[in-house]
Amino acid sequence: MNIIETKNLTKSYGKSRGIIDVNLDIEEGEIFGFIGPNGAGKSTFIRTLLTLIYPTSGSATIFGKDVVTSGPEIKEEIGYLPSEVFYYDDMKVIDLLRYSGSFYKQKSSNDIEKRIKELADLLDLDLKKQIDDLSYGNKKKVGIIQGLLHEPKLIILDEPTGGLDPLIQQKFFNLLREENKRGATILFSSHILSEVQKLCQRVAIIKEGKIIKVEKVSSLVDNNYKRFKLETVSGVTKQYFADLSGVSDLKISGNSISFLYRGRINDVTKKIAELDLSNMLVEEPDLEEIFLHYYQKEK
Amino acid sequence: MNIWRHELRSLSKSTLIWTVALSLGVIVFLSMFPAFTKDIETSQKLLNNFPPALRSALGISLKSFFTIYGFFAYLFTFITLAGAIQAMNLGVGTISKEISGKTIDFLLTKPISRAKVISAKLLATLSCLVFTNIIFSLTALICAKIVSTESFSSLTFLLVSATFFLVQLFFLALGSVFTVIISKIKSVIAVSLPTVFAFFVVSELGAILGNENVRYITPFKFFDPIYTINHNAYELRFLLIEIVFVLICILLTYVIYEKKDIRAAA
Repeated sequence: MNIIETKNLTKSYGKSRGIIDVNLDIEEGEIFGFIGPNGAGKSTFIRTLLTLIYPTSGSATIFGKDVVTSGPEIKEEIGYLPSEVFYYDDMKVIDLLRYSGSFYKQKSSNDIEKRIKELADLLDLDLKKQIDDLSYGNKKKVGIIQGLLHEPKLIILDEPTGGLDPLIQQKFFNLLREENKRGATILFSSHILSEVQKLCQRVAIIKEGKIIKVEKVSSLVDNNYKRFKLETVSGVTKQYFADLSGVSDLKISGNSISFLYRGRINDVTKKIAELDLSNMLVEEPDLEEIFLHYYQKEK
Repeated sequence: MNIWRHELRSLSKSTLIWTVALSLGVIVFLSMFPAFTKDIETSQKLLNNFPPALRSALGISLKSFFTIYGFFAYLFTFITLAGAIQAMNLGVGTISKEISGKTIDFLLTKPISRAKVISAKLLATLSCLVFTNIIFSLTALICAKIVSTESFSSLTFLLVSATFFLVQLFFLALGSVFTVIISKIKSVIAVSLPTVFAFFVVSELGAILGNENVRYITPFKFFDPIYTINHNAYELRFLLIEIVFVLICILLTYVIYEKKDIRAAA
């Protein structure tokens, strides 16, 4: 079953870009990554799903229900953590979390209370402090607890890791994996690819408001692309590799050659065999490189 | 109900301050009543020397000034001005503070409809006003009973003091509409003070110039205390204008808020 389904979802704000014709299916139990640089439309997409903003055209369903008409009902089962968290400064952490929990009518206050304590212990957060006195990172922890305290079926995270130190980030990711094992579906938006690579199973790449690629993280990284780095004894013309189909991001400086390759390995090794090499390195490209490559190709 | 409780908690302090200040104001003022009435003739002569325009601007009617109602009605001009500011602050502040404090994302991603958010917030502000009014009216009534030498009808007195609530309701409703129309309100006072004073100035100018039509556009003149004292009722026309205006404002607040895009905090 698809937890999130969008059909030609479009949001335009006057002149500035929003999102255009986004078609996306996110399946139950997935950790789905949503990557793109700042301003590509990630937040617009997420805010439309949460009906903080309304679509210009197209539609979106969550749990099979239309987001616009069944918003409150759907949100009963959604946990949301925005990139920047803002809470009522004059409240204590525990009061804010109780207030947050009081919206979820299906959960008993005992369960919520227990969960708050559990999560606060795990993340090492002092519940008695005033929100106003918290550091940015600690506010973020409040955000994490606030998003997870009702054990939602769908967790939506909009660039959630900013301001978290690596240790807490690790704990946070483990927490998300646990939630995922429990059955929660996770939509994780980020502009940091290594995060997405660590956590997600599938990923959508968004650029200028359009989805340009949806693929499994494993297939993006594993099979398709190899990064070749060669050192030759004598120089090679750019043309030599540019002729070979599947080569991209080709860089030649002096005797060093570097390119991404996607295609039959035999084709490229034959080509390389004809060169007089002094050194060679073949590696898995990280997602970052593939991502940049997508971005350049689409320009 | 949880939003209502949350709002009440955050509004309790300011409501208490307003209530105490308004009540103190009425106590201080009404305690001067005996001084005015001790020697009515002298006081009357003094007031007679005031230019008529000033008298009408101040809401002084020579016929009734020396009765407890009339004296109270006079005070009312200024008390309602203060009350209008309290109400407008509530109307503007309660909805817009979620945007200016950027807590709106938190609130609207909870499983609750926007209409319910508005209802809870309006109900909370209304609760504050009702509280202020009950304390204020009772304080005024008790003071009046103490200082007045002749007996008077508590009902009439309370009817006059209830116009305070009606004026507040007007500004509460107006304030709510403002918050959904104006995209970002940085300072509540900067919106509420000029609005309230604009209405007040219009009503004062109308009184000075003797222009009766002004009464239709400013709530400060909707409910003429002299009429209320004489008839034990409000003028139906103006009561209707008030009701229609408030209903339209509230309706607009719901409709606009329901469709509004909540842009990312930046």
